[in-house]
Amino acid sequence: MTVLDDFTKGDSLLNPWMDEWKKQGKKILGYFCTYIPEEIIHAADILPVRIRAKGCTDTPMGDAYLSPTTCSFTRCCLEMANRKQFDFLDGIISCNSCDQIRRLYDNIRYKTPFSNQYFLSVPSNVNDITIDFFKYELNKFKNYLEKTFNVDITEEKLKNSIELHNKSRTLLKELYLLRKKKNPPITGTDIMNILLSGVSMPKNQFNELLTTQLKEIEGKEGISDDKSRIMLVGSMLDDPEYVKIIEDLGGLIVNDAVCIGTKYFWEIVDENLDPLDALANRYLSRVSCPRMAGEQSKRVDFVLNLIKEFNVDGVIFQRMKFCPFWWAEIFVLRDELKKQGVPFLDLEREYVLSGAGAMKTRVQGFMEVLEGK
Amino acid sequence: MNELRIEEELKEYKKLGRGNWGEGFGLLKGMYNGFITRIRDEAAEMEEEQDEIMPPMKMLLNLLLDLRNARREGRKICMHPFNYGPELLYTMGLVPLMQELFSVGLATTHINEFYLDITNKIGYGDNPTLCNAQRPLIGAYMQKAAPVPDLLFFLSTPCNSLSITYQVFQHITNVPLFNIDIPYWAHEHSSEFYDERIMDYMLSQLKNFIPWLEKQTNRKFEIEKFQETMNLVNQSREYVSDFNELLKTVPCPVPSIAGFGNWLAMTLRGGTSEAVKVTKYIRDQAAERVKEGLGGVEDEKLRIAWPYTHVFFDQELFKWLEEEFQAVTIMDILGFYPVGPHDTSTLEKCYESLALGTLDYSMIGTCRGPVEYFVDFLINWINEYKIDCVIIPMQFACKHAYAMTTLASEIARQETGVPTLVFGCDPYDSREVPSETIRAKISEFLNQIVL
Ligand code: SF4
Ligand code: SF4
Repeated sequence: MTVLDDFTKGDSLLNPWMDEWKKQGKKILGYFCTYIPEEIIHAADILPVRIRAKGCTDTPMGDAYLSPTTCSFTRCCLEMANRKQFDFLDGIISCNSCDQIRRLYDNIRYKTPFSNQYFLSVPSNVNDITIDFFKYELNKFKNYLEKTFNVDITEEKLKNSIELHNKSRTLLKELYLLRKKKNPPITGTDIMNILLSGVSMPKNQFNELLTTQLKEIEGKEGISDDKSRIMLVGSMLDDPEYVKIIEDLGGLIVNDAVCIGTKYFWEIVDENLDPLDALANRYLSRVSCPRMAGEQSKRVDFVLNLIKEFNVDGVIFQRMKFCPFWWAEIFVLRDELKKQGVPFLDLEREYVLSGAGAMKTRVQGFMEVLEGK
Repeated sequence: MNELRIEEELKEYKKLGRGNWGEGFGLLKGMYNGFITRIRDEAAEMEEEQDEIMPPMKMLLNLLLDLRNARREGRKICMHPFNYGPELLYTMGLVPLMQELFSVGLATTHINEFYLDITNKIGYGDNPTLCNAQRPLIGAYMQKAAPVPDLLFFLSTPCNSLSITYQVFQHITNVPLFNIDIPYWAHEHSSEFYDERIMDYMLSQLKNFIPWLEKQTNRKFEIEKFQETMNLVNQSREYVSDFNELLKTVPCPVPSIAGFGNWLAMTLRGGTSEAVKVTKYIRDQAAERVKEGLGGVEDEKLRIAWPYTHVFFDQELFKWLEEEFQAVTIMDILGFYPVGPHDTSTLEKCYESLALGTLDYSMIGTCRGPVEYFVDFLINWINEYKIDCVIIPMQFACKHAYAMTTLASEIARQETGVPTLVFGCDPYDSREVPSETIRAKISEFLNQIVL
């Protein structure tokens, strides 16, 4: 069994690493967004796990309470919470990432509450004032964890946690940079499995596995039977199957600007600053999501740079239906890509993979366009 | 109609509006002329003689002229959303332009729909995803029918649609943009969500806005001017508070959603003597009628709360409710401007008053944080204004609201026993859910559940 096989376990809702963690009598907290610092949760000796709604099939409660025109990820989450699919969690942490997530939290509190639930007010722009406020919010969050779980989150613990998470980020970046090669040694599908493990297993174990993985693919012959090098851009995507459909049609994913992707790990936290200062800084100043105002040109530059650096042939936008942020963001990006002559495909999707046939047809068409270039 | 006085006024406005308004001012000029026609028609229909243009309409005409003149005279125009009082912009000598002047203003004549089609064509969202309160302007820009402002300003709430579309406006127009983050937590000590940092946070952000404005306008912030503006805001707020109290009277002294004019005054002209005049006028009308024991609707039978925006394309909807059901719609969410007067005796108090006004603004105060802000407000309305039922025509794209109304109305009903009707529609586009369907839904609800 290879390390990559190991990482496929990351796709399940409750994976063996989490199981093991629970058996040790330790707690797990689910969180909703990359703006919530895992480091603080980890420093409380709690396992932070990114909330996913894998296995959701239909959303009657989500439709009734969140409305049928709300993004299906949030509807699925409410449904899963209601069906007790998240019962392995000892609590949830949410924030105002978007209106849907904010209201999901309200509905969860009333309709299907967790024993522990907490909300972070994450500022919508970056400047000294908002960073300072976010630091204050993070401190409140730290106090909440200390009080609720009867732990002491010392400065030293936070520093260790930051170091550990930075290590993860550095390893992930190292892995991503290998994809710059003419023949990248790893597929986007495998990368997604690695990332899903990364957001749902203890970081020290993850780092060990990832280090081994890097060694394994070092010097490995790269993939050469792909037709085109693709960058994936868009909203929440946590489905390796979705990526596989693209790759099976010859589009090798070589990088991304997605939530569980570069947005999660690209920048490290400054280890020389006071830990909360450093976290507030990093989390607000990182390559942003469309929720952050005044940062759009930086986000565009980030995508354009990656396209250049990774020699991308075309961009696939995967846009969650009813997501205002990403529709608008993609509207702007499309404009910029047109200016740069970069071909793109705009795919609307639901959280649960459906209409794979239609998707395949469109991706196939796109591959032909790219081949013809 | 007192032919002489009002005709003279209208003639004068007609004269003032003549000529070419300049690039991008086509729609605003159209609106201006449309208002003149509407004033004339309405005055002709009035039973009592009306000897001058009513202050709210005069305010709208003056605002449009002001925008045109600003461009001619090189004064800067700052575009802002519907949930912000422009007092600071006036202090800095800017001419504010509320973005929704387009979507709301144009929905009434369905011209909106033409621009929405253009927006659709160029691929900027669809209705359930991005709100049509902002989208028509994208189409209007493509047609050069709307003026490109000199500055853009917005708040991070109530909705993502608004905040992301401002970023798209910037992408299209390349105009400097400033944003203020509205926090989730409450500033009132009494709230279970109170956080001691909120007021400081808002104050710091507002004070940070000032140097940005100074830089953009090349003009110094004048403390006296600011205090003077805040005092005018305060006077308006006093009238609005009085009016909100008068609405509690049974029968309701004014016809449906008369308070909408207060929101218009505070959002378009807040901080000017014109807004004071309008809010006083609205208050005086209500006070007069209370004194005389008159109701806005004959034999009032039902009192409706409408804790959301109007169906803007159907201007007759409230009248229909009044005539069919003798139902008065006491207030809508915008028209219920809930910010009371604050202490403005010192400079620091003026800042605080500004911060409170920003946090509590129509729809910001109720929709920025947890659902409880909205629920408490709704329950208070129901109890204090003796509400019989609640109607919410939910904009499909309004995620923050749509994703809480079922929950909120459930809680409110448990607490008060008052029923709520929630239905999806698009207040800006009659083609989505037409008037007949909306009326049928309301009729069914009133006949089968309320009456
Ligand atoms: S996909 Fe969009 S709407 Fe859905 S949770 Fe993410 S940001 Fe929010
Ligand atoms: S109706 Fe809702 S989505 Fe539209 S602008 Fe208003 S708050 Fe935003």
